[in-house]
Amino acid sequence: MLLYKAWLETRWRFVFLVGSVLLIWLTPLWITAMGVHSGVPATRLWMAIQMGSVLLFIFTAIYLAGSGINTQGIYTFTPGFHGSMLFTLSLPISRLRLLFVRAGLGALQTCILVVIMAVYIVHLRPESTSALQALIYLTRTIVCTMAIYAFSVLLSCVLDEIWQVTGAFIFWTAVFLLQAKFDWVAQISPLRGMSLNCYPITAPMPWEAVLGSLALAVLLLWASVLVVQRKEY
Amino acid sequence: MNDTLIDAHGLTKTYSGKPALRGLNLAVPRGSICGFLGRNGAGKTTTLKLLLGMLRPDAGEIRLFGEAVLSEAASIAARRRIGFVSEDKELYPFMSVGQTIRFTRAFFPCWRRDLEEKYLELFRLPLNKAVPKLSKGMRTQLMLLLALARGAELLMMDEPTSGLDPAMTEDILRALADLAASGETTIFFSSHQLAEVEQICDRVCIIDEGQTVINGELDELKSQYRRILLTFDGKPPSALASLTGIDHLRQRGRTASLLTHGNVDALVERARDLGPTSVEVRPVTLKELFLDHVRGE
Repeated sequence: MLLYKAWLETRWRFVFLVGSVLLIWLTPLWITAMGVHSGVPATRLWMAIQMGSVLLFIFTAIYLAGSGINTQGIYTFTPGFHGSMLFTLSLPISRLRLLFVRAGLGALQTCILVVIMAVYIVHLRPESTSALQALIYLTRTIVCTMAIYAFSVLLSCVLDEIWQVTGAFIFWTAVFLLQAKFDWVAQISPLRGMSLNCYPITAPMPWEAVLGSLALAVLLLWASVLVVQRKEY
Repeated sequence: MNDTLIDAHGLTKTYSGKPALRGLNLAVPRGSICGFLGRNGAGKTTTLKLLLGMLRPDAGEIRLFGEAVLSEAASIAARRRIGFVSEDKELYPFMSVGQTIRFTRAFFPCWRRDLEEKYLELFRLPLNKAVPKLSKGMRTQLMLLLALARGAELLMMDEPTSGLDPAMTEDILRALADLAASGETTIFFSSHQLAEVEQICDRVCIIDEGQTVINGELDELKSQYRRILLTFDGKPPSALASLTGIDHLRQRGRTASLLTHGNVDALVERARDLGPTSVEVRPVTLKELFLDHVRGE
C-alpha cells in the first residue's frame, strides 16, 4: 500500500517526464518534417539531443526525489501546519520503510526514464555502436543520475519540497562551476560522468566519476537514513 | 489487561533551549474520555507527538497499554492500537476518500468494515471525492472514520472540533460519546472548548507551562473544589493570604474569592475569624478551575 501511495504521489510527475522524453524523441522528426534538417549536421543534432537528455536526467533525479517525510509538510491546506506528515507518522510503519518505499519507487522511475532515453540515443547514433559501448554509456548515466537523485533524497529529508528543488539546483550549478576551477571536482563529479565526451558515445568508462558518484550515492542514502531515524517532527 | 492506557512520568522536552514540557505527568485509565486542556503553547501538541513517537522526550518515561515505549518497534506496536486525529486534519491531497480509506485499512488487521460503513453513512462522505475538495468538517469526519474503523483501543485527538460549525461539532461529539458508551475505546483529546470537554469528558488533565496542574475525574474535582466568596466592610485583610488550604486567592474591591479543595469547612471557619460581612460557598465550574489554575488569578 505504501507503494500505491508513492505511485499516486508521483504519477503525474512521471507522466510529465515521460512526455518530456517523447518531446525529445519527436524533435528530430519535426526538424526533418520542417525541412531544415538538411542544413544541420547530424552530429550536432544528436549532440544537442544528448545534451538535452543530460539536463533531463538531472531534472528527473531532482523532481522525482521527494522521498522524505518532511516534504509531506507541503501538502497542507492551512499555511503553517504540518500537512499530511502527522497522518503518515501516526500510522504503524517504520520511518525507514517510509523512506525506502518512496525513494525506491522514485529511483525506479528515474532509471526507467534514463534507460528509455539512453537506448534512444544509442539507437539514433549515426555510427555503429557496440553493445559494450552502449552498456558503458547506460551504466555511467544511471550511476551518475543516482548520485544526483540521492542528494535530493537527503535534501527532502530535511527541507520542504520547494527548498529541496531549489537547493538541489543551486548545489549542482555550483558543482558545475567548480568543475572548471578544480580538477579533482571534475574527476569525481556526476555531471562530468554524465556528459563526458557526449558525442560520440564511444568514450571509455570514466571510472573516477562513476566510482565517485557511486560512493556519493551510498553516502547520501546512508545520511538520509540517519536523518530520518533521528529527526523529530 | 492494563487499566492505564497512557501513563507518562516526568516528561521533559526542550526546543532550542526553550522548555516545552517540564516534568509532565499524565495518566489516562481505560474506558475514560479525558479532556486535555491548556493554553496555547502549554505543551498539548508536544505531549501528543511524544506519545505517538514523532518526538523523543529529553527525560521521563512513556508507557502505552502498560508497555514502556523505548524504541521505534514499541511505538509502532502501540500505534497499531491508536487512532489519531491531528489538529490540521490534513490527508493526502492526491487521494480520494475511497483511496484514503483503502490505504489506511491496509495497515490495520483489525479493521472494522461494519464501523467503516456505519460512519460513511453517518457522515455521508462521498467515496470518489478528492480529499482537497472536502470541507474541513468533512476532513475531520474522514479522519475520525479512519481512526475509529481501525478498531483502535485508544483515540487521540488534537482539537478535533476546531474550525467546525456548531452543528458539525455536535455531530462529532455525539459520535465520540456513542463510541465511549460502547466501552471499547478510550478517548484522549486536547481542546480549547471547555463546554464540550464538560459535555462529554469524565476526566480532565490541565497543563500549564509544560506541567500538569490538575489530573483527575471531573466529577470528583468538582466535588472537591469550592469557591468561597468573602465580603468585607473595607479592603480584605492581608491575613487572608496567609490562611492555609487556599489554592488561589483573588481580591477585588471589598470582596475576596478563594478557590480551595480539601477541608472547605475548616477554611470557612478560619476565614470567618477575619470578620467578613458575608460568606458564600459555591461549587466551581470547569472553566473556573481552568482559569484559576492557568492564569493563577
